[in-house]
Amino acid sequence: MATALAVSPNRTELMKLRKRLGLAQRGHDLLKEKMDALVIEFFEAFRKIQASRTKALEQLSTAHRALSNCFAVMGTLETVQATRETKRELQIEISSRYLMGISIPAVEFGEVQRNALTRGYSLHMTSSVLDEAAREFERALGLLVELAETEAAAFAIARELEKTKRRVNALEYILIPRLKGALKFIMMRLDEMERENFTRLKRIKAIIEEHR
Amino acid sequence: MSFKIAVIGDKDTTTGMALAGATYAHVHAAKDETLAKLNEFLTSDEIGLIFVTHRVAEELVFEFRQMMRTKRLLPLVLRIPDKTGYVPKVDELQETIKRTVGAEIVVKKDGE
Repeated sequence: MATALAVSPNRTELMKLRKRLGLAQRGHDLLKEKMDALVIEFFEAFRKIQASRTKALEQLSTAHRALSNCFAVMGTLETVQATRETKRELQIEISSRYLMGISIPAVEFGEVQRNALTRGYSLHMTSSVLDEAAREFERALGLLVELAETEAAAFAIARELEKTKRRVNALEYILIPRLKGALKFIMMRLDEMERENFTRLKRIKAIIEEHR
Repeated sequence: MSFKIAVIGDKDTTTGMALAGATYAHVHAAKDETLAKLNEFLTSDEIGLIFVTHRVAEELVFEFRQMMRTKRLLPLVLRIPDKTGYVPKVDELQETIKRTVGAEIVVKKDGE
């Protein structure tokens, strides 16, 4: 499978190849360690996701129920009208942190929950079920933002894991066997040359003795 | 940096999220329109987080996946269930890991 590299069989080449093989092996070990660390990180992230996902999704379905209730009590058009009046300027802070050389988003947000007065819709035109729905959705949004953060991190780790795995495999199954093959080839060739030389010398010695 | 939130989904989801303070919302109707909108959201420097309902994401399958692969670090994109609580059976994260590690991850509850 591993086709040998095209090398000329001499000692310099042999030394060069040995150096390359050493480097490749060291790189392989390092990458393998990185991969193990990434797997551990991924486990951590995955566990976090599972915990926050169930919580967030439950909250979201509660919010949807509250909203349906609101549609029923206030009417669809009125609810939509109220959303038009709502202040929609929730801000989240996103920075990035580094984990094993991958940049991972870190999300921070202030208070998602607002009270009925700061939401912006007019109070005397709307029902309390709208407040309820808005409150539930704010709560859900907060949880979802957290979930988004962990999920983005997990995806980033997974992508990096894929890349690292590919590199490890390339080294392990392609480059290192090829280098080893080339090394073997050179060594055999050098041995062969030595044997040839030996017989040649023997032969010359015999000829010289004959002529004496 | 401060960022805003965008939502793409059905009427209920966008309404609810708007109530909660999400700045941009798009109600999915036609595929082309939604794609254009999604592209706009993705290239905007103002938006840090986009919620897309699973149903919409599934309708845009190929293009959506393509966009996810080529997008920058920000905005983050999170797929959420819609009113009916619809979540696809196949977990994409689970799939990626199965492909790379060659094993599925099952998280056990504490004490098991």
